[in-house]
Amino acid sequence: MTIERKIREHLHKEAETMECHPAISKRIEQSYSQYLQQKRSKITMKKRLIGGIVVAAILIPTAAFAGPALIEMLSRTPMTAEQVKVDEVGKATLEKLYSAFPETKSFEIIDASYLGDPTNSTNMKTIQQSIVLQEKGGTGKKFTIHTNGITGEIEDLTQENWEPKEKPLITLTNQEIRAKVDYLIDKMYGNIEEYEVAMEQMENPNQKTFILNYTKKGTEGEGYQVFVHGNTISLSPLDPTPVNIKVEGLFSLNGKPDYTADNFLNDEKLFSLLKISPTELKQELAKGKSVVEIAASRNVSKQQVIDVIAKTQVESQFKAEQNGVTISDRLMEQMLKEVEPKVLKVIEHKTETEW
Amino acid sequence: MQNEDMYQLLIKMKDGDQQAFHTMYDATYQDIYRTVSFLVDHQQDREDVMNEIYMQMWTSLANYNTNRPFHFWLHGLVIRQVQRFRVKSWRRFRIFERIRAFSREESYWDQHTALMDGTNQMISQSIRKLTDKQRPVIIFRFFHDYTLEEIATLLDIPLGTVKSRYHAGLQALRKNLWNLPPERMEEINDY
Repeated sequence: MTIERKIREHLHKEAETMECHPAISKRIEQSYSQYLQQKRSKITMKKRLIGGIVVAAILIPTAAFAGPALIEMLSRTPMTAEQVKVDEVGKATLEKLYSAFPETKSFEIIDASYLGDPTNSTNMKTIQQSIVLQEKGGTGKKFTIHTNGITGEIEDLTQENWEPKEKPLITLTNQEIRAKVDYLIDKMYGNIEEYEVAMEQMENPNQKTFILNYTKKGTEGEGYQVFVHGNTISLSPLDPTPVNIKVEGLFSLNGKPDYTADNFLNDEKLFSLLKISPTELKQELAKGKSVVEIAASRNVSKQQVIDVIAKTQVESQFKAEQNGVTISDRLMEQMLKEVEPKVLKVIEHKTETEW
Repeated sequence: MQNEDMYQLLIKMKDGDQQAFHTMYDATYQDIYRTVSFLVDHQQDREDVMNEIYMQMWTSLANYNTNRPFHFWLHGLVIRQVQRFRVKSWRRFRIFERIRAFSREESYWDQHTALMDGTNQMISQSIRKLTDKQRPVIIFRFFHDYTLEEIATLLDIPLGTVKSRYHAGLQALRKNLWNLPPERMEEINDY
């Protein structure tokens, strides 16, 4: 027998005697499930970012988000500190804050306003109430709280200047930042142990920004989305209901998907107005057309497009469908008018251009 | 299993189909484990390399060339991971040179080789004494029956290099096993 044959036979015979240890299989299986977990958390992270885009637009001063967001653009009615203290929602919010952070009792209410029907001021049903508190002296610790006037839930919370100026929050290590955010959530909402967190640095060239996603274990989307930048923690609870996003990254910028407009253009009513499928819309936009141009080629006027999108945006702002709240026509009209410039910007936007 | 089936399975696995992962694993782990065992001596190292190979499966699926047989892609992964491991262990080797050199001697006696008869133990040992360059060529030639051209593609080296490693490897084995004079080599080269 030649050496080649001998080797071949030997190798096959030896191979027969080799048994893969079950521990290896187990380890690889673990690697696989780890990979899956990572993969899943990535997907939800992206989706949530889109869902929170209206919120994010207020919080992150970056060119990626187009100008002032809806919530800020809507004109608000100012409130005095006294009004806040007697108002049902305002009082509850302050109490919540005081019990979580007793030191805030000494803080001054430097700004307060509400969004709602100004004509109906005796029995104020506010859509959203905002209170800004700041420490007198010291490092100027500041809390900005937006409370949903209907449910009384704190929709958005910003904690500023909690760290000394020389060493702002963002310069701390990731673990330290996380610990600070954990603490804030635990104090304000409680039960931090029930949440899983994913932390990621955002692609924001102007300012170092972290996004933290807290997800309640065993739920699909319930949790908190947190942005950390500068000396600021911005926190908003996430709706457990999934976001109605059909296609992602409608535009692109520098070859990367641009999610800015997703929340505006993923609109059932818009799709049916244009008689277009979400995927088709994305394809058309990728060709460099603006939404207005696409609409024009389908005999739909610019105004029609604006009306549809603006209405959806305004409605989603106070979640009309869920809460069965009606507001006066005047307020509705006012809100629609105010959101118009923002909508205009989105529908005239072309892919691969700066916002 | 068919190439197309395997590819579909890989895609499903990448998307998170646990069932696909298990089917895939069951179909491949024996072959991979045995190949790795021929190329890597330490039990612990084999485990690490195996794990790396499977992790590569779901991360480098994009490089899969559907025109080539599935096992070709798979063995490509095996080779790259074994090589990467070698680079790493070389670094370790420098630090723990003496310890490593010592334990290497020991590792020639794997559990399963200990059960074999004298000649087979000799062959096993001789194969393990081949250089890191010769060993993959010999293993893929005789264990997986690849042609020398295929091995050149797998290892991403010129055919001439494969040939020289192949012959040098065989010569070393011959020298170890039968002490055959080099003149006789041509005559018996009938594989």
